[in-house]
Amino acid sequence: MGKIVTIIMLVIAAVTIVITTSITSTTAPAADPAIVLSSNIPGDAQFGQLPPNATNEEKLLAIQGDFDIYSWNTFIALNWPPLPNGNGDPQKTIGQYGDNDTVWEHYRNVEDIFLPGGAKPTYNGPVSVPTQCKASYKPGMKIISQVGKTPTVLTAFSQPFNTGPLIDQNGNYTRYEILVNKPMFDYILQNTLYSKAGQKVFSGAVKFPCGVLGGPEGAIMVKAAWKVISPADKNRFHTQTVLVYSPASQNPKYPASCSKKLMGLVGLHIGHKTNSASQWLWSTFEHVDNAPTEADVSSGKLKAKYNYYDPKCSAAKCPPNQVPPRPWNPTKVSAFHSQVVRMNMFKGNEFAFTSAAARNADALKLLLGVSASSVWQNYELISTMWPTNTGQCQASPGDPLGTPAPNFLANTTLETYIQGMVPNVSSNCIECHNNATMTTPVPSDFTYVLQRAQ
Amino acid sequence: MTTPPNSGGPSEAVVQDFANMSAALTGFQPSFIRPFLDPVNLSGTFYEFAVAQVGQTMMDALMSAFDALSNQQPPLSPQQIANTLLEVASSTPSQQAQLCQSIVAMWYLGSWYPPPFQKDGLQQVISSQAYTKSLAWNVAQAHPMGFSAFTFGYWSQPPGSLDTFGVNTGGGQ
Repeated sequence: MGKIVTIIMLVIAAVTIVITTSITSTTAPAADPAIVLSSNIPGDAQFGQLPPNATNEEKLLAIQGDFDIYSWNTFIALNWPPLPNGNGDPQKTIGQYGDNDTVWEHYRNVEDIFLPGGAKPTYNGPVSVPTQCKASYKPGMKIISQVGKTPTVLTAFSQPFNTGPLIDQNGNYTRYEILVNKPMFDYILQNTLYSKAGQKVFSGAVKFPCGVLGGPEGAIMVKAAWKVISPADKNRFHTQTVLVYSPASQNPKYPASCSKKLMGLVGLHIGHKTNSASQWLWSTFEHVDNAPTEADVSSGKLKAKYNYYDPKCSAAKCPPNQVPPRPWNPTKVSAFHSQVVRMNMFKGNEFAFTSAAARNADALKLLLGVSASSVWQNYELISTMWPTNTGQCQASPGDPLGTPAPNFLANTTLETYIQGMVPNVSSNCIECHNNATMTTPVPSDFTYVLQRAQ
Repeated sequence: MTTPPNSGGPSEAVVQDFANMSAALTGFQPSFIRPFLDPVNLSGTFYEFAVAQVGQTMMDALMSAFDALSNQQPPLSPQQIANTLLEVASSTPSQQAQLCQSIVAMWYLGSWYPPPFQKDGLQQVISSQAYTKSLAWNVAQAHPMGFSAFTFGYWSQPPGSLDTFGVNTGGGQ
């Protein structure tokens, strides 16, 4: 049997209980997957050979490992220094000078896709600059804008299900942005899904392109969480000087404003639709200083400082994972500081912990090998959610969710308040995104961004 | 991140054997009851739960009875095995058959219905996943209240075939 065994082949083998020659390759066996320093974005996960007579837990651990390698290779490629055209520059290396501009930040922000009046967007055209930001704006500068709150949509300072903002230990609101890659943008453009009018006349099912192993990438969505940092902390974060825009609000009442801030990356979701995952692959990374785990708290093994946890504040005084009290005013420094603890969401799925820890150690070695000052050493994979039961770029009719592994997955900066293990309540990327529709009542293929059409 | 210890449990062979018996008892495909990759592991959960309710000795006896039926020549069909274990021809099923009835109910409803001989047994939902993944929903080609795996508007389309919901319709496994 060849060493490349795709997940679909494994599933076919399982459901048919027939070990067919379809999974037998006559070509030379490929190398087992590994984390590599490369600007190439993986089109899909690559699978190694399963251990003989593997138990269910061992099989899940092995394949989770392959997906986690895919996630790290994707993280490395997306955070690679880009060429002027936005693609990774193979002449450079991630983190060689500490920090660097990244490929994904050259993707198109959804703010510049779903334009007022349903106007036709461009991939590389000018960005929308709010009036309040114009005096400070310089070409190429990132603008993180607050958009109107839309239930179930990740907005600029609120989280999924409108559960509330996340406020750091300095009282500053965390900000968010969502960007999509060129294949995803092109699909939206070609099918006129950037406008309500275009969505209304769209017939058929929304089907974003699937990435292919060794071939082109599929549709990719990136969600990033940023916090305000001080210059003294710059060497621990990927940073950008950002124009933070807050539109006017009536309740609470405050005027539109725009201010220049030094922001550090604290969370990164990467969703990628691939041949082996029509339900998309969901990789989630965090800054290592974000929050302690439940186990860290109970054992007292705490760092001196976290981005979203005060180790000196007792659980009675600072109960964990509480939605900040209203009113929410992101233009002011808040007296309330989020006390975030990473809940154990992998009970029964311990393979997810084991795999992520091993892959994080491998990646750390590689990144430190580039430069001891690489900011990328300060990011860790939480896990990768993948469908265990799926078809080639399409779901199984009786199992549209594909029975995801692990069963639950949350990023403490993006799903702070929905961590846990309750079906349809706690964070599960695939379950939640399966509910997404366009502005018309048509499923939108695991993305909520099409609801932003005007 | 801190890695929690992996909890011990029954061996893979025991869980697979229980899954095979459960498939025969419920009329579902073995590969659906115990998928090749099984991150939910209801077979393991249900096995351990049933053992905690009725004891290891009784469960071992049931599994031995199933193994004996499975190894008969000529081979018995899953339906024949289920009929024998459930003692469908008897109006006074044995305690072992009563346990089988509770196992069937556990799979179909995600809850434990204590067999009559379990005097101190408590009717209970086994877990949230046992509820959302209970087989009754698949037979109805539907979904539980408050949890749907289908996309918006699925109700306007005919449901998938019973095979796609894991039911053993005799069309091969």
